[in-house]
Amino acid sequence: MAGLATTFGSGAMTNSINEITGAEVIFVIGSNTTEAHPQIARRILEAVDNGAKLIVADPRRTELSRSAHIHLQLRPGSDIALLNAMMRVILSEGLIDDAFIEMRTENFKELRKHLLSQDIDKLAAVSGIPVSQIKKAARLYAGAQKGVICYCLGITQHICGTANVESIANLAMLTGHVEQAYTGVNPLRGQNNVQGACDMGAIPGVFPGYQPVSDPVIREKFERAWGQALPSEPGLTITDMTHRGRKNGIRAMFIMGENPVMSDPDASKVEETLKGLEFLAVSDIFLTETASLAHVVFPAASFAEKCGSVTNSERRVQLMHQAIPPIGECRSDSEIITELAGRLGYTMAYENSAEIMEEIALLTPIYGGIFHDRLETSWGLQWPCPSRDHAGTPYLHKYSFARGKGRFVPAENITPDELPDDDYPFILMTGRVYHHYHTGAMTRASDILSREVPEAVLEINSDDAREKGLRHGDMVSLRSRRGEIEVRVKPVDTISRGMLYVSFHFHESPVNRLTNPALDPVAKCPEYKVCAVNLEKA
Amino acid sequence: MKKNILKKDHVRPFLRKLARDSRLIAPVRTSHRDLLYQEIESIDSAEIDLSEQPQESAKQFLFPQQEQLFTYQNTSKGFTFSPRKSGMPTVLFGLRSCDISAILYMDVIFLRSPRDHYYLEKRRDTIIIGIGCNEPWDNCFCNATRTGPFLEIGFDLQLTDLGDRFYVESGRAVGDEILEKWPQFFSPVTEEDEKLRYQLMLEARSGFKRHVHVETAFQKIADNSVSPSVWEHIAKRCDGCGGCAYICPTCTCFTIFDRPLSPHTGERLRTWDACTHDGFTRMAGGHNPVNPATDRLKRRFMHKLYYDYKQFKRPGCVGCGRCVGICFGGVDIAMFVDMVCAEKRDQRQSAAVIGDLLVEAGLITRKQLSEALEKRDRTGMPLGSVLMEMGIVTKEDIANCLADKVERL
Repeated sequence: MAGLATTFGSGAMTNSINEITGAEVIFVIGSNTTEAHPQIARRILEAVDNGAKLIVADPRRTELSRSAHIHLQLRPGSDIALLNAMMRVILSEGLIDDAFIEMRTENFKELRKHLLSQDIDKLAAVSGIPVSQIKKAARLYAGAQKGVICYCLGITQHICGTANVESIANLAMLTGHVEQAYTGVNPLRGQNNVQGACDMGAIPGVFPGYQPVSDPVIREKFERAWGQALPSEPGLTITDMTHRGRKNGIRAMFIMGENPVMSDPDASKVEETLKGLEFLAVSDIFLTETASLAHVVFPAASFAEKCGSVTNSERRVQLMHQAIPPIGECRSDSEIITELAGRLGYTMAYENSAEIMEEIALLTPIYGGIFHDRLETSWGLQWPCPSRDHAGTPYLHKYSFARGKGRFVPAENITPDELPDDDYPFILMTGRVYHHYHTGAMTRASDILSREVPEAVLEINSDDAREKGLRHGDMVSLRSRRGEIEVRVKPVDTISRGMLYVSFHFHESPVNRLTNPALDPVAKCPEYKVCAVNLEKA
Repeated sequence: MKKNILKKDHVRPFLRKLARDSRLIAPVRTSHRDLLYQEIESIDSAEIDLSEQPQESAKQFLFPQQEQLFTYQNTSKGFTFSPRKSGMPTVLFGLRSCDISAILYMDVIFLRSPRDHYYLEKRRDTIIIGIGCNEPWDNCFCNATRTGPFLEIGFDLQLTDLGDRFYVESGRAVGDEILEKWPQFFSPVTEEDEKLRYQLMLEARSGFKRHVHVETAFQKIADNSVSPSVWEHIAKRCDGCGGCAYICPTCTCFTIFDRPLSPHTGERLRTWDACTHDGFTRMAGGHNPVNPATDRLKRRFMHKLYYDYKQFKRPGCVGCGRCVGICFGGVDIAMFVDMVCAEKRDQRQSAAVIGDLLVEAGLITRKQLSEALEKRDRTGMPLGSVLMEMGIVTKEDIANCLADKVERL
């Protein structure tokens, strides 16, 4: 998010999902797309069927990499080295888009100077990929007319997440692969409404529509609408609350639809923080690990039991209709919030979600023309959509970047916060599997999905497994500096030696007790993707 | 086999009679503009729409996605069981030919010995009123599976849309009974109606936009001439989500779970399952005899297009086209059939043809042929070149041989 904001001026998918189908070259980095974003993957595969070339950069041999023309099996956390190496090749071989750089960007000189100071052999050595392969990938991407980059949490969940994203933006701008159809830079959102949550200001420093709380004009606009004085300082980030809550003076918390005891890094610390609160309320559709710590639990309605809108990766606002009446005592999130606000002495009287949407349109310029009646008859509208007669925006930065000129932000490779050593010789990566979602609160309640993948599995290179005397199905105890879990191993050939991979869906093997809470300094996203561990037979 | 005319104005009153003592299922346009087979609560407010193929088949009404089989109670004297009765008289109205054919297929699966009690209970009192398709949709290929666009048998009544009226034919005694019970809605068929209907049926048959050569695919599978690359290609694309099986009107696999309802009571459920799921064949110890995805997809397509053909003389696919577009990886049965049929004739096969012709013509011996085939396999050179290099035949020999063959054809 932050990385695209500094370079392009807007932190969202630049293009539409369907445009991927028309790309000539697709570069997927840090995304296990087939398992995590099957709807995006189907477009990528369709493009490949249409003759597009696919480059996948991933430390694991993922399902998608089997369909790739080039698979760059990089070392975890060496994305900047790889991207800089590719850019160095593009620069030395004269494959840059001069006209685009000249007219649409700034700070190119800095990037050029930086790239010329880099030694490609060294970069290749850091990333663990042969120079020849880097050259091949660079030429392929730069040579395309329509080049798409898709990235996901493999890029952002690092201490250098923002710099990773900036490097991706550098690569796209260097080759002019922005501002037209079938090209662009596409961060893939992990949930149906993460984009919507960010759009609505569920980030510490902004009101809905990325309007900064520090701007007095904007603050006044919201104060007038809501009849309340509003803070001018940004709020706290999630780890500031879940890890350093006490220090930050937090006494009570209200958590909605989130299971931080399972999903946040160094999870034991999170549990400790929550247990130390004077009051905790949780609203969720099932009694999650977090909800069971709460003083008050609100049973929330699921997506099928309420009406409202969601905004997906491609900035498309879609209306979701209520399919069934709420089961039992559950209420929709908006009902829970408005009722609670009423009891706390602040009346929020909305007739329905359409009225809430009207308020969003009133206060949020990028949503200015989005109303329920318009969504009713369409497949949704893509913001920015400033007025009722605006048809929405399939791709961003058409004639100029949101911030004016695209800015090159050169980056040095930053090694992960915690590297393997003698005590903890393995690198642990975390991620998800196809059949489960996040902390499993919903998917593990399904019999078939639970049967498909009943427990966490630790993937280990088969040679490492042999050396350690481990066989398929053995239980191991996996330790990091922060905690210890038990998990079953599966020797595989899809990851390199010295690396381990495990999913985070299962409370029996709560992998986030091990992960490193070190943060990206800008985006405050923890480094889930790399931590040092050791294992032995349990 | 009675034939009658039912004016469209009289459909609603007719359905009202049918719904009096039965549950009525019909294609309904929902408020979100989906078209789904649904139970009709109120004939007056439901928007019954016979203009398109519904998005899902009618499978769920005879074989629900999740079905309680019985509940159990654990008392101090042991377990007691209460079976669940689920059958009730049902009218399935406006079913497409593919969906009726799928029910006939399910009958074969569930009603052969030992009979599936839960299916029978629901199927026994079900009346099927179908509608032929005057215009096939984009992904339909029921012409290739011989399950439409109109049916000869399998329905109680079948409607044909003649514009302002339906041509109604009865296919079974139950259908006759319905026509006799409410004669006020029906009028005799005129010669003009017959002609029009015949014309529409012919037009429908020629209106298919897709040509899916299901029987050719069967032949190719039977000849074992589907190359491994086809299986590998589709396996790479399969996520194992089971969507194809869930949307498929003829997929009948299920699994059974027990779920506690309270500390002393519980229920046994059966839910749809899919053969592309890993857990479908995984053993208790974690070993899976049908692994990896290549094998699972092979089983799925072989079942539909080969084993069913061999066993029942027809494919286990009714050509409804619903799996087209449901798959994230673009793997559907029509695409598979296309791939199999488009594949260049297997090299080994065509080589064998040339080899056989040369042997027949007396130009080479069997022994020479097998030597040449062996060399071809070793070097990857085409068979003709190998034979020429071995100095056994000339280019002209091969050309003459093939020309003879063409002439004989």
